Amino acid sequence: MKAASPAHAGLQGLRTRPLDQRVPIVLGGLALLLVAVSLVSLGLGAVGIPVGRVIDALASAFPGAPAAPPGDALVVLQVRLPRLLLGLLVGAGLAVSGTLMQGLFRNPLADPAIVGVSTGAALAAAVVIVMGPRWFGAVPFLALPVGAFCGCLIATLFLYLIATRDGRTSIATMLLGGVAFGALAWAFMGFLSYLSNDQQLRDLNFWSMGSLSGSTWAKTAAVAPFILPAMALMPFLARGLNALSLGEAEAFHLGLPVQRVKAAAILLVAVMVGASVAAAGIIGFVGIIVPHTLRVLTGADHRLLLPASALLGGALLVGADSFARTVVAPAEMPIGILTAIIGAPFFLWLLLGRQRGIGA
Amino acid sequence: MSLPFPSRLRVSRRALILGSLAAMAARPAPAQAPRRIVSVGGAITEILYRLGHQDEIVGVDTTSLYPAEAMRTKKSVGYVRALGAEGVLSLQPTLVLALDGAGPPDVLRILEQAGVPLTRVPDDPSREGVIRKIEIIARAVGAQDEGAALIREVEGGFSKLTEERNAVTRPVRALFVLSLQNGRPMVGGRGTTADAILSLAGATNAASALDGWKPLSDEGVIAAAPEAVVMMAHGPSGAGTDPFTLPAFASTPAAKDHRLVVMDGLYLLGFGPRTPAAAGDLMTALRQAPRR
Amino acid sequence: MMPALEARDLTYELGGRALVDGIDLAIGKGRFTVIVGPNGAGKSTLLRLLCGELAPTRGEVAVGGQSLRRIGAWRLAHMRAVMPQAAELNFPFLVSEVVSLGVDGIGRGLTRADRAGLVRQALDRADVAHLAARYYQTLSGGERQRVHFARVVAQLAAGRSVESQQILFLDEPIASLDLRHQLAVIEEAKALAGAGVTVVAVLHDLLLAASASDDLVLLRAGRLVARGPAEDVLTHARLAEVFGVALTSPVLPTQPWAAIPAAGGSAQRL
Repeated sequence: MKAASPAHAGLQGLRTRPLDQRVPIVLGGLALLLVAVSLVSLGLGAVGIPVGRVIDALASAFPGAPAAPPGDALVVLQVRLPRLLLGLLVGAGLAVSGTLMQGLFRNPLADPAIVGVSTGAALAAAVVIVMGPRWFGAVPFLALPVGAFCGCLIATLFLYLIATRDGRTSIATMLLGGVAFGALAWAFMGFLSYLSNDQQLRDLNFWSMGSLSGSTWAKTAAVAPFILPAMALMPFLARGLNALSLGEAEAFHLGLPVQRVKAAAILLVAVMVGASVAAAGIIGFVGIIVPHTLRVLTGADHRLLLPASALLGGALLVGADSFARTVVAPAEMPIGILTAIIGAPFFLWLLLGRQRGIGA
Repeated sequence: MSLPFPSRLRVSRRALILGSLAAMAARPAPAQAPRRIVSVGGAITEILYRLGHQDEIVGVDTTSLYPAEAMRTKKSVGYVRALGAEGVLSLQPTLVLALDGAGPPDVLRILEQAGVPLTRVPDDPSREGVIRKIEIIARAVGAQDEGAALIREVEGGFSKLTEERNAVTRPVRALFVLSLQNGRPMVGGRGTTADAILSLAGATNAASALDGWKPLSDEGVIAAAPEAVVMMAHGPSGAGTDPFTLPAFASTPAAKDHRLVVMDGLYLLGFGPRTPAAAGDLMTALRQAPRR
Repeated sequence: MMPALEARDLTYELGGRALVDGIDLAIGKGRFTVIVGPNGAGKSTLLRLLCGELAPTRGEVAVGGQSLRRIGAWRLAHMRAVMPQAAELNFPFLVSEVVSLGVDGIGRGLTRADRAGLVRQALDRADVAHLAARYYQTLSGGERQRVHFARVVAQLAAGRSVESQQILFLDEPIASLDLRHQLAVIEEAKALAGAGVTVVAVLHDLLLAASASDDLVLLRAGRLVARGPAEDVLTHARLAEVFGVALTSPVLPTQPWAAIPAAGGSAQRL
């Protein structure tokens, strides 16, 4: 145990409060953080626009408000705002997916990428990029997002089917199946990259790094109908995931419809990861960093953990993106690289911590 | 609606720190102001310099390696396929010239939406392709005269090249090796820029059985039986490796005379105004007496 | 009177081998029944069949005269609680949160204050109130078992308002406990039985099983060998035949340990 610094004691104090006292403190704090990060993100960018003019530009979107300079309005309303919203959706979706997945597998190291869900989406997208021109003459509009989503669902259903016997899902089989599926998918990706031409190869490469560059209102509008309903449904799984963390048998003893909860969690993960991967490529580690940090700070109860994951996930991705697009401006850094730089050491630290037995 | 912005947040100050792109940002440029061009693609930058419009360039992508001055003096907008919409907009371009394959496509769409004139430049690795690139760029910057002069020069170069090529009695069988990672060669097959430059240089592509850039097996190298190997001076893995130290390459005809040609990547594969010269140099190098 | 728990021809096969083989059993309301037998006799499998965790290959289980197959997980959770041998928890739950899991689901009809009250009582009854703010993962094996005992006690208390007939299943509940807490948990289980809860437990310690139980169920190789009061079941012949041990005294010795009432507080309850 660490020495009880005042901050540590404060956190411990928060941690041991009853849930109904913790919820408003934690969610309120995270909501404030999210708003602050969002405002900074709207205010920052390669185009330097003073804060006052950012506000004017935002206001100009409302009827009756005075028009802002067209340049300001364009950058704020057409470039930064859709990117901010897409970042919030994707960040929240990935973080909540990670939380659901970890609850489902009762393992804080589980991640959509580990059980092959992201890989399925990536493979489907690779198929679209490489085979699209051969089959359709060009990559059809929306084929990439739809493909990624379908790949995600197929991967998840496939895993669910091979791991389920007599209506019970074996977590071990599913994890192993995920590893096998991932290997298979990467082999197919290798085959596809063999088939692809120079440009397709670069597209694949760029896409697998993940980026929020090229966010448009259309993209945001395409992703929102997947992620928002999933967010609305997620609270119904919280109690179930809590019980499930004791084990499937124990959850059943506590009266949980275990199979239904698992199926619902898998479906929500597929929907959110598919939509996220389709919109922004593969952005790793958000699903690990966010839930783990929150469990340590605010507790493992999914009734708080799930909504908090959504808020912190959105804030983390938007913050990382603000950095990625300003640090080398006017060029930008792929955000997937940034999250990996933060996330990979974090993951290792997590593994080492678990080895020493203080895993959370 | 008024949003509670923290007063510490001074965006304009940050922009100043970032460089000189500060205060006038995103304000429509006055009609008489000089043109501000963002050039995305190495060949485009090269052509703009040749047309004498280099001073109008405000931003280039990371493939704009020639002239070297471009990368030094212009802002970088990042890799040709990983542009950021706001980054490009922050340069207040009055014209964006984008080579085929620049993107992501959504970023180009946003730029068009933003009313930035955007000209897409096709990238066809051929004599006609180079001419078209120059035509399109010259028209876009209103430098038709300079463009015509450059085209005459390039055409002249190509014609001279054709003559030289016609003098070739027996074409050299050459293998273009893009990279040699872990001793596994990535070679240029049919349809690649490598294939095009080899044929311009009067050589036969030893990897013409392949489509696109492909890894070649050891036996494939032996079967290809190249009489010469061409590599890039600044390839993805550098040009450090001598292919003839590898057993597969050591048994090819090229190894006997140690026929290895190493040339600058953009010069060789950029398909810009220097292409006739590059093809000529390659031809000479391939036909030259073996080094050593 | 209808038995609280009944098994008819209960059989469970795995890989062609019968782990539990044709067991018929009827357990009366409020009885404390302990399943004993050597390793691999099928004790835990029988318990998991009786509580509904495993579906039998043949035969069936009835709770209060109703087939287990027709009772959904939700209703069943009000009728019985199950304490597992060991439950791994990979997330940093506090002890109080683990105990709350017992009432969070089926206690939904209760007020928040009532649920908190049930959790407090259960923490006291299992002598883990002082651990309430600790992380479950930092506890010893014995402390963890007591936390789970508190959890099932809380679950029974929450279900009591809906179902009056309740069963408590305990799978080796005292395996990692020190002597004092072994006795304490057994005493609590007996107290629950006294209050009308049917208790079915798997225990290894024959002496403890004999002294605590109303009835013993002796298994060997998946089959029921004998059942009834300890002195009838654990005869010289059966001990020799089933366990391969001989008694050194003419009769089954009594349990040599007794809990010392402590000075006060929760320890006294235990």
